[in-house]
Amino acid sequence: MRSPLCDRFARTLAAFGLALAALLPAAAVQAKDILTLRVGTVESLDSLNPFETALNVGYEVFTLNYDLLVNFGPNNDPVPGFADSWTQSADQLSWTFHIRDGMKWSDGQPATSADVVYTYNLELNGTKNGGVVGLGYLDPYLKDSFVTGVTAPDPSHVVITTSRPTTKLTHSYIPIVPQHIWKNVTPANVANFANNVPVVGTGPYQAVESTSQYVRLVRNPYYWGKQGAEDEIVIQYYPSAPDTMVAAFKNSELDYIHSPSAESFNQLKTAKNTVALASEGNGFTQLNYNTYTKGGGASTTALQDPAFRKALGYAIDKPTLIQKVLLGYASPGTTQVPPWETNWHVEPNDVRQFNIDTANSMLDAAGYPRGPNGTRIDRQGKPINLRLYAPNTDPSYAKDAQFIQGWFGQVGIKVSAQVLDEGTLVTDEALDTTKPAKGQLNYDMVIWGWVGDPDPNALLQILLTSSIGSTSDSQWSDPQYDQLYVQQNEAANDADRKMYITQMQQIFYDQAPYDILYYDNNLDTYHTDKFAGWQNQPVQGGAPFFQDGSINYTLLTDATKATPAPSASVNAEPTAAGSGGVAASVAPAPAPVPTDTGSSGSALPLIVGVIAIAALLVVFIMMTRRRRAAAAEDDE
Amino acid sequence: MGSRYLIRKVVGACLTIFMIVILNFVLFRMMPGSPDRILLRNPNVTADAMAAARIRWGLDKPLIPDQLVDYLESTASGDLGFSFKFHGEPVTDVLAGRIWPTVILFGLGEVLAIIFGLALGAYSGWRRGGPIDYIGNGVSLILYSMPYFVIGILILGVFAIGLHWFPTSGMLTVGGSGDDSFPSQLLDFLGHLALPVTTVAIGLIGQYSILMRSSVIETLGEDYITTARGKGLTSGRILRSHALPNALLPAVTLIAINLGYVIGGAITVEVVFNWPGLGTLTVTALEARDYPVLQGIFLLLSISVVVANLIADLIYGRLDPRVRS
Repeated sequence: MRSPLCDRFARTLAAFGLALAALLPAAAVQAKDILTLRVGTVESLDSLNPFETALNVGYEVFTLNYDLLVNFGPNNDPVPGFADSWTQSADQLSWTFHIRDGMKWSDGQPATSADVVYTYNLELNGTKNGGVVGLGYLDPYLKDSFVTGVTAPDPSHVVITTSRPTTKLTHSYIPIVPQHIWKNVTPANVANFANNVPVVGTGPYQAVESTSQYVRLVRNPYYWGKQGAEDEIVIQYYPSAPDTMVAAFKNSELDYIHSPSAESFNQLKTAKNTVALASEGNGFTQLNYNTYTKGGGASTTALQDPAFRKALGYAIDKPTLIQKVLLGYASPGTTQVPPWETNWHVEPNDVRQFNIDTANSMLDAAGYPRGPNGTRIDRQGKPINLRLYAPNTDPSYAKDAQFIQGWFGQVGIKVSAQVLDEGTLVTDEALDTTKPAKGQLNYDMVIWGWVGDPDPNALLQILLTSSIGSTSDSQWSDPQYDQLYVQQNEAANDADRKMYITQMQQIFYDQAPYDILYYDNNLDTYHTDKFAGWQNQPVQGGAPFFQDGSINYTLLTDATKATPAPSASVNAEPTAAGSGGVAASVAPAPAPVPTDTGSSGSALPLIVGVIAIAALLVVFIMMTRRRRAAAAEDDE
Repeated sequence: MGSRYLIRKVVGACLTIFMIVILNFVLFRMMPGSPDRILLRNPNVTADAMAAARIRWGLDKPLIPDQLVDYLESTASGDLGFSFKFHGEPVTDVLAGRIWPTVILFGLGEVLAIIFGLALGAYSGWRRGGPIDYIGNGVSLILYSMPYFVIGILILGVFAIGLHWFPTSGMLTVGGSGDDSFPSQLLDFLGHLALPVTTVAIGLIGQYSILMRSSVIETLGEDYITTARGKGLTSGRILRSHALPNALLPAVTLIAINLGYVIGGAITVEVVFNWPGLGTLTVTALEARDYPVLQGIFLLLSISVVVANLIADLIYGRLDPRVRS
């Protein structure tokens, strides 16, 4: 007897089985016994084009692919990159960089000074007359260095002339890209250049496969320096799923994870063969006030008064926030230049300590008396009810808001806290300069954070008057601060520059357009049973990855093969690529791996569609046949 | 008659899709927040950079008619534009890479749920009041009420983190010393697929089982079943040949509608298992206000629902001639 149900399901199952078999990506061409370093992050790569990435992971990938003219060293100090040495002229207005002799791109082509000239001219031409190269994030590095021209007197020398003495050229984040690959890329079309795999660079590892889930990089066979023990690096993305990333790490599917939650991090601290590293981060979380004065803006004019903002600073118990919200993984904040930037951070005078009584008396003195119901009243006689917003990107912001609500309540300021979608908030916070200000900037206080560069300019400039309409989220304007910014940027030497930056930090702290709540720690964890040789950047207090540049990737050793030396030096460097036993066996392999993802990706939906339609047809035919058969049976 | 029914249904479906295309445009632009502003969380961004981004993404033009006309024209020609978030990548490419993981995951999950759900429901209904019915119905109700992510997290905790039987996330092990032959790749894929597909199946079994059970119970009370019994047919034969075919009618509708959602998937399952499908893409695109990708996803999703409903209508029309008239 026929069993139509079973029949039908069997057929459908078979169809799906076929689909599965047909849809598996073509087996990647891989040598066996490849040592893979697997890194997890909660971001997902937005672009392989360095001028088009906005994310931490994008910088991580492009500094693996490419050398900067001068790379970032173990302590973010200048170390040889595309150039192996450099000198400044006696008049301090030109720099000569020597390009490493015999260096090659990962495709075997010679890498010369012409590539530097090409790359820097792409930037210089693009930023002329207020233009932008790609997303524009890399533009300030040359603009702020006052570069007037780049020339290549011969294949191994580059001369960069500047209109003022500067030291910033050796801290530039601009990757040197190969002219022979990028030759048709101009400032006008750089945004459309996908820089598809296999990427050609001079960096230690080259991206050969890039999907929505991961990017895979393999050894650059022509790399000029030492490479790590890992033959390939896979960076996997866990957008919106940090807990899944932690689960994968616990399951040893990942060797390194960046930014787990503080709770997960605490759990991992006690895990076997695991190092959980809370390191100082180059960024902060702030409470920013809306100080806008030209129509529109905050619900009370009190926020425009530095005395009012300062007084509120005494009503924030930062150590409690850090303990209760971040489980201790941060340090109390003061200025806009994080202590991570050791050369530039200066603690201000008169640091505000939490004291509700001080806050109350300062508010009284500043002219904000309490009204009949205890709520303070501004100069227009309006009760001060502040709206406090936080983006939904980090749950800790909402917890901070609850605490601040409580403390401000104690000093007579009513706070209504609300978590908003990130996109909504960023739009609320930025003035659209093409429209009248009235009705815009409709917020009072926001809890959010910023992350900086090794150079302090990035975090100094968000407070400039000229940033109102773009990055300014306090709408603060102080002519003296603006003036000092120009002066520090033009300073001929670091000592002078620091003097100006010190003043900027004190003005910022006294004027309090932000109250820096804390400097967040970076949380990173890694396994020690597969790789050894982990080094931090900066060496003291830093973390191995997601810092600046790719130097730490080149220092890893194979933990299973290395015989631990008695001194157990963490800085033990691997043998040069090709000379070590492990490296030699695989070194010839990393020729560009066929990138099958593109072609299979486009054919797959078609196959799925065909199979789905076939399956449906089968079901349909079976049902029709069964109906006829049933009818026939009934007629019997 | 038959062709008129068909034409009516197809025209209706086309109209619906056109309305969806328009709605798609309006809906995402009503969301607060603008994509060019999301650029701002980098301290190096300048006003010039923002202006350049607006021009590049066509956001400087008025919403209506310029942006709408551009959108309709390109959608009609199959060009869904370029992603904002995945810079420079055409939306069709972004979507193409994400469809099949979702289709496999939810397609297979559906099939498993249909097999087990319908079988359990049919048996429970047939042996009403028996131990299987009691347990099956209770379990079905619990599963029906459980959100996918709860099931997913439980399964993940037990079988991946606890027992280490399966990988926690992703679709394939990338790189490494793995064997690259087809069978081992298949095994690797199935290993990654096991937990999410089980989650989907478990989440769906409940509704199929409950529906099938009540449908079978109802059918068993019909006169023609009594007639069949009177003819002396065995009870197994009655179930297979007379009760089940009629009891399946409501299930067909449910299956067809659920198949429409195969493309949409359940976002939470994909997020829990970091499955690289349309669900995780939706979350990423939403966060970045990636209008073109969001439009693409919703267009795809709504078309698949409309088509699934059309198929349900057609099958129904075929199975039940009363519908056609």
